[in-house]
Amino acid sequence: MLQILIYGAVSSAIYAMLAVGFTLIFGVARILNLAHGSFYALGAYSAYVFTAIFKLPLFIAAPLAMLLVAGFGVVMERYLVRPLRHSQLAVLMITLAVSLAVEQGLFITFGSEYRNVPSFVADKLSIGGVDISGQRLLALVASVLMLCCLWLFIQRTRLGAAILAVSQDPQAAEYMGIPTNRIFSIVMAISAGTAALAGVLVSPFLTVQPTMGLLPMVKAFAIVIVGGLGSIPGSILASLLLGYSETIVAYLVSTSWTELVSLVAVVITLMVRPSGLLGRRAAF
Amino acid sequence: MRRNALIDLTGAVILVAILALLPMLVASNYLTGVLTVCAIYGIWAASWDFMSGLTGRENFGHSLFIGAGAYTAGFMGTTWFTDPWYSLPAGVAVAVIFSIIVGFPTLRLRGPYFALAMLSASAILQRLCLIFWEYTGGEEGLYGLDPLIKNPLHYYWFVLAILVVTVAILTALAHSHWGLLLRAIRGDEATCQAAGINATFYKIASLAISAAFAGLGGALYAHYQLQVSPPLFSVVVSITVIIMVYVGGIGSIYGAAVGAILLTLLTEMLRGFGEYRLWIYTLTLMLILFFLPNGLIAPAWRRLTERWR
Repeated sequence: MLQILIYGAVSSAIYAMLAVGFTLIFGVARILNLAHGSFYALGAYSAYVFTAIFKLPLFIAAPLAMLLVAGFGVVMERYLVRPLRHSQLAVLMITLAVSLAVEQGLFITFGSEYRNVPSFVADKLSIGGVDISGQRLLALVASVLMLCCLWLFIQRTRLGAAILAVSQDPQAAEYMGIPTNRIFSIVMAISAGTAALAGVLVSPFLTVQPTMGLLPMVKAFAIVIVGGLGSIPGSILASLLLGYSETIVAYLVSTSWTELVSLVAVVITLMVRPSGLLGRRAAF
Repeated sequence: MRRNALIDLTGAVILVAILALLPMLVASNYLTGVLTVCAIYGIWAASWDFMSGLTGRENFGHSLFIGAGAYTAGFMGTTWFTDPWYSLPAGVAVAVIFSIIVGFPTLRLRGPYFALAMLSASAILQRLCLIFWEYTGGEEGLYGLDPLIKNPLHYYWFVLAILVVTVAILTALAHSHWGLLLRAIRGDEATCQAAGINATFYKIASLAISAAFAGLGGALYAHYQLQVSPPLFSVVVSITVIIMVYVGGIGSIYGAAVGAILLTLLTEMLRGFGEYRLWIYTLTLMLILFFLPNGLIAPAWRRLTERWR
């Protein structure tokens, strides 16, 4: 029981990091970013390169990976997505092209075999008789911290207020003197950075390989549909729901069935409450 | 109008004649095989374009229907040992059933949401194939299907004939009252509803038609490869088809088919580049998106024939 509680919390936290970035860039810039999964994969591979090849310690490798991927996201937004923003479908196609290019690039550089990233924390901890690797616990703590910082940043800073303003009405925000395009870049950097951190944190205990981004991408999408597109509290709530239901299914049935949880969740949500748990009706 | 139709028909006849005679001029089983794949991709691209090109609901999970048709053929050939000819109608039927099951919840979503929902649906079906590996053969898939027609050249002609029939039916539908309604739905769905047009019915029906031809192509592909495997469901297949339609010119069914044939030939020629092929594909897509938003084939054909119109 306690085991389900702890493992479910870890996967929920990772999903929340992915889904928050995905929904943030949608909510602010109306960009449905199909390359979000590649940020995650790039984060994991940067962790591999920095720790396994350059032998850097974690507290240097993780911020470096985040910066690298955030930079990649900003460049992508500026030169590939922004010129095509007049058409939502063109945005979908271009972000998809980027994700395919990244996947193939990783495949060419690193090959298709799994990569092992050394554990950042080797110890195993025992909580109430449940053994849990320090790495999973670190992932949990780091993502909760990250989400709290993000929340504080958006609620308490001037920049956060600007982001909120742009998400409510980009044109009005522009008239008020908020540099909308710069806000888009900042949000893209945050979105890519959180996805990369999720990738870095899971890299020691999940398989690192070129196609690793697709499934988390599908799950982030499922979470965002369930929680309501553009709603950050909604996606955190949905992450908890999905993380726990997957863990319970994994314990009761088998791990190979967990992938179906997200599909069922999406179908039920679309039929019962198309706008999502905490979404606004206007999204559809 | 009649004159325009004549010009288009002449072009189509010349192209089909070239495609049909090519393997006789250059007698090589390799070329025949490549052309068969070209024709199958042509069927897939034309069927994608019918639903998505006309209604503007981009289907990122076309591989769902392709894989459904192919796996039906696979099951019928390797588990139930039926006559291979039965797998064509069965593949179509299963693809249509899938399209209705998937279409009802997803087609309520607009544009990008629909695209993403279809993308997840096909990803999940691929996953299911791996979960039920006892029945689907897991990663390796099902193999040992019987060929429909033993002679590869005759099979190629058969597939080419189906491509021609597919493009003819879909073009006729697209130019009919039906096609007009689909374009109207693309323009403004709410107004269509207000005018008393049952938009939901038309969207699901056109998805079913699109799925029927995709499933047919899937069954043909299964009997060409003589095996089926999970990559048929993969997002890469859907994306390849979409890129082909973009190159051909979205919304013009013949352009989609020609784009598919050209791009398949191009990828065969690029086989030497091996793993860089997908990069060339994505680069093509980026260039088309930025510089030729209307595609290449259909606008080129229109410009070419402008003088005689």
